[in-house]
Amino acid sequence: MSTANNTPIAKVEYTKEKKVGEGTYAVVYLGTKQSTGRQIAVKEIKTSEFKDGLDMSAIREVKYLQEMQHDNVIELIDIFMAYDNLNLVLEFLPTDLEVIIKDKSILFTPADIKSWMLMTLRGVHHCHRNFILHRDLKPNNLLVSPDGIIKVADFGLARAIPAPHENLTSNVVTRWYRAPELLFGARHYTSAIDIWSVGVIFAELMLRIPYLPGQNDVDQMEVTFRALGTPTDKDWPEVSSFNSYNKLQIYPPPSTFELRKRFIAASENALKFMSGMLTMNPVKRWSAIECLESEYFQEMPPPTNPSEIPLPK
Amino acid sequence: MSMMTAANTTILSATGVSGGVVSAPTTGGGTTTTSSTSTNAIDYDYEDSNKDMCPICKTDRYLSPDVKFLVNPECYHKICESCVDRIFSLGPAQCPYKRCDKILRKNKFKTQIFDDVGVEKEVDIRKRVFGVFNKDLNDFDGDLKKFNEYLEHVEEIVYKLDHGIDVEETERQLKDYEELNKQLILSNIERNKKEFENFEEREKFQKEMRLKKRMLERQIEEEDKSNKEWAKREIINRLAAASTSGSLSSASSASTSIVDNTQDVIESVKSTVKLKKSSARRKLDELNRFLQDNPYFSSSNPNSTQNTLLYQQQHGGSVIPFTPFNGDRDIEPRRFTIEEELYDDPFLKDLQNKKEFIASGFRTDYVYERVLTEAFMGLGCVISEEL
Repeated sequence: MSTANNTPIAKVEYTKEKKVGEGTYAVVYLGTKQSTGRQIAVKEIKTSEFKDGLDMSAIREVKYLQEMQHDNVIELIDIFMAYDNLNLVLEFLPTDLEVIIKDKSILFTPADIKSWMLMTLRGVHHCHRNFILHRDLKPNNLLVSPDGIIKVADFGLARAIPAPHENLTSNVVTRWYRAPELLFGARHYTSAIDIWSVGVIFAELMLRIPYLPGQNDVDQMEVTFRALGTPTDKDWPEVSSFNSYNKLQIYPPPSTFELRKRFIAASENALKFMSGMLTMNPVKRWSAIECLESEYFQEMPPPTNPSEIPLPK
Repeated sequence: MSMMTAANTTILSATGVSGGVVSAPTTGGGTTTTSSTSTNAIDYDYEDSNKDMCPICKTDRYLSPDVKFLVNPECYHKICESCVDRIFSLGPAQCPYKRCDKILRKNKFKTQIFDDVGVEKEVDIRKRVFGVFNKDLNDFDGDLKKFNEYLEHVEEIVYKLDHGIDVEETERQLKDYEELNKQLILSNIERNKKEFENFEEREKFQKEMRLKKRMLERQIEEEDKSNKEWAKREIINRLAAASTSGSLSSASSASTSIVDNTQDVIESVKSTVKLKKSSARRKLDELNRFLQDNPYFSSSNPNSTQNTLLYQQQHGGSVIPFTPFNGDRDIEPRRFTIEEELYDDPFLKDLQNKKEFIASGFRTDYVYERVLTEAFMGLGCVISEEL
C-alpha cells in the first residue's frame, strides 16, 4: 500500500496525502476515499496529549455532525481509529469566507453576499430546528466547497439546547461575533446568539473589514454599544440586572441615517435585515426563519448561483 | 479589465457632450519638420525624470504645490502649464523633449486624467474613433450579429491606432468612413446627446428624491424626539397643576382621584402626541408611493415584472422560482398551541419570572417546542388525529 499512515486492521479506505493544517487539538490532512476516488479531509484528533481521554470538542463535533445532514452543513463521512487516534473523515472544502473576504483580488457583488447569507442561514436554521446551538459562527468557520456552496463547519463548541434549568457557559463564540447577552455573561441564552453572529458576518461581508473588532472582552462591549447603541430596560427588560451592566456608558442607538452612511451600498431591505439580526434584545432578535423570510432575499438582485461566485485562485 | 470599462464609460459620456465630431489631428510625415537641432530641445533624459517635476523648467510639486501638468495628444510628453504658456504662446512649436520632433499647438494641450500615459492615449483614440463610429444596435435594426461585427471592426481600428500598426492606412479608413457617413454620424451625435441629457436628468431626479426622502426621515426623527420631550414636560406640568387644585378638595377622595387623574393625564397627553404625528411622515408616505409608481425607480422595485422578464432573458428562459428554505421547511412551523389557563407549569412559571432568565432571552415557547418535538419525533404522530 502506498500510504504508511493507515491502520493495519481496517481495509485501507481513506488515505492521507498532504497535511493542510494543524489546530490545538487536531491535524487536518487532505486525502482520498479509495472506493470512490472522492477527495476528503481527515481530521486526526490528538488523543495522546489529553491524558484524561478525548478532548471535549472532538466529542461535540462527532456527536452533532453525525446527526445532521444538510446541504449547508459540513458532511461527516466516516470515523475510524488508527494508532489510538480518532480520525474524522470530513468532506473536503478548499476555502472559507474569511479567506475570500481578505483576498483583495476577489471582487464580489451584493448578489454574491445575498447568496452566501442565504446558504449560511439555511445551515443555521437546520442546526436550530434540530435544537443545536453552533456557538462559534464566524467567516472562518463558513467553509466553501469547490462549487461555491457554503458549509457551516467546526462544531467544536456546539451543544444541544439545554433543559430549562441547566446553566450554560457564556464564554463561547469568537469575541467579535459575540452577542450582547453573552458579553453580559448570560447563562440561559438561546439560539438568538447564533443569529447575532450571522448579522455581524453580514456586516463584515458588506464592509470587507471586521464590523465590531473589540480588543478584549471589555472593549468588545464598548465597540458593540458604540456602533449599535447601549440597550436599556425599556427595549430589553431586565438587562440592567446583569452584573456588568452598571458601569456602561450609554450610547444612543444609531439612526437609520447613520447606518445608511456606514453601509452605503446596502438597500433599505438589507439594512432592515441586518438590524433584525443585530437587535440587542434576544427575544426580539429575528429567528432563522424570520431571517430567511426577509424581503431582502426577495428583492433584486436575486442571489447569485453558487457556482458562479468567484473563488480564490 | 475594470480599468477598461471605466475608460469606456468616460468616453461614452464624453462623446455625448462633445457636440461635434472630434477632428482628427493629423499624424504622419506631412506636418513634421525635420530639424531636430532646434534650440528648444533640452538636453536631459526624460525616462527617469521625477513624477512630480516638470522636466523642462524643473519646477516640482514640493516647492510649488500648484503646478499643473499638461500633455499633448501628439506625443503625450508631460509639460507644466507655465512652460506651455512660454513655449507655445507664439504659435506651433516643436516639443521641447529631446529626440521628440512633433510640432505641438497650444490649444491641443490638456490635463492628463489617467496616471498611465498608455491608458490616456487609448482613451483619446477611443474618444476620436467613437465620435465617428457612433452607430448603435438600432442602426442595425436589432441584428445582433451585424452589430457585433461592426463593434469588432471598430475595436480593430482602435487597436491599430493605439499600437501604431498601419497607422496611415487606418487613418484613411477612418476618414473615408467619416466622409461617407457624415449625415448619419451627425444625427447619431444628436441622438447620443439627447440620451445623455435624458440620463443626466434621470440621475438628477433620483438624487433629488433621495435627498428629499432623507431630509424627511431626519425631520421625522427629530420631531419624534421633541414630541417625546414635550409629552414628558406636559405630563409633569399638568400633574403639578392638578395636584395643586386637588389639594383643595376633600382629603379622603384625593388619593384615588389623583391616581385616576394621573392615568387620565398620561392618556390624554399620549393621544395628543399621536394626533401630532407630523406632516413630514405623511409627506414621506406620499413620496414612497409616488416613487413606487415611477418608472425611474422600477429597478429597485422587487415586484416589477419587467425585471423578472429581463432576468429570464439573461439567464436562458426558465428560472426556478426562489424559495428561501430551498423547499426544505416545515409546512406547519408550530404544531401546538398552549392554553395558558388550562396548563399550569409551576416549574417553568418560576423560571419565567427570574430576572436572569428574562434578560437572557429565555422563552417558554422554545422549551415547549423542544420537548414536544422530541417526544413525538419520528413517531409520525399528529396529535389532533390521535385525540
